[in-house]
Amino acid sequence: MAAASTTAERTQAVKDYVFSHVSNSDHWALPFFDVHLPGWLTLHGLMLIVAALILIALFGLAFRRNDRVPRGLAGALEAIVKFVRDNISIANLGEEDGRRMAPLFCSLFFFVLTLNLMGIVPLFATATGNLGVTTALALVTLGVMIGGAIYKNGLIGFAKAFVPAGIPIPVLIILAPIEFMGMFIKTFALTIRLFANMLAGHIVIFVLLGLVVIFGGIALPSVVLAIGIDLLEVLIAPLQAYIFTLLSAMFIAQIHHPEH
Amino acid sequence: MTGTVAAIGAGLVAIGAALGIGKLAAASVEGIARQPEAAAKIQGAMIITAALIEGVALFAAVVCLLEVLK
Repeated sequence: MAAASTTAERTQAVKDYVFSHVSNSDHWALPFFDVHLPGWLTLHGLMLIVAALILIALFGLAFRRNDRVPRGLAGALEAIVKFVRDNISIANLGEEDGRRMAPLFCSLFFFVLTLNLMGIVPLFATATGNLGVTTALALVTLGVMIGGAIYKNGLIGFAKAFVPAGIPIPVLIILAPIEFMGMFIKTFALTIRLFANMLAGHIVIFVLLGLVVIFGGIALPSVVLAIGIDLLEVLIAPLQAYIFTLLSAMFIAQIHHPEH
Repeated sequence: MTGTVAAIGAGLVAIGAALGIGKLAAASVEGIARQPEAAAKIQGAMIITAALIEGVALFAAVVCLLEVLK
């Protein structure tokens, strides 16, 4: 970047840097050396494994002692778990199903939350800013939507979810396919929402910092803006995890309890 | 010049999303002011709706981004 001289060249350099930073790669850039990852593992794949290990360690250590009243970290984690169970799972799926499916939503919530927060921590990459990762997460939701509805209501009951009661047949011919496509579109929207949110936030931060590189010292105030956006990201990370889990629960409830 | 056109698109997206979320926020703040005890419920509904509006905006933002990267 130092060799670039004209504004256009510097702009291009910043653009290249930003997009190489937010995209998946085969090496992990640490401060003094590059870790070249083996062929079967990419940077975002590594982040997924790290996130999983963090969660296993966190919950394993916090709940090692079988305290009746959890203390410290375990208490904080339990509060979040209870929030997910009561306000996301049970609120949408009802008492019985909500309790049964709470582990799924807790897993989704904590996994997405950890990945989002790791994006803000230096040295780590944002795995949720990768379309493949968010697609895989949304496919879990789609799988539970379809598989769970067939398991719960049977094939006929599952099909009935796309045929609202009390609607004349001519309308139904148009409506049923739309409802069926809607199931996939909802999942797709879930994918894009998380992906674009995480990606856009990081691009904005880097572009604001890049303004200093492009225009020199006159653009220094944009660093303050970048810090502001960075703090906003801290808020957005749990919010997006919450929204992803909440919408998953809502979509699953819509298919499982069609008449609601 | 594709970059310029995509930037205009991103601006239009911002206008649309801002209109949507602005109306939503105005209505929910008014609702909370009228009925403070329902604040929690209104907030929950507000966040869900904001996420849905934002989803549409982000769809468009991703399209603009693809145009830039092309």
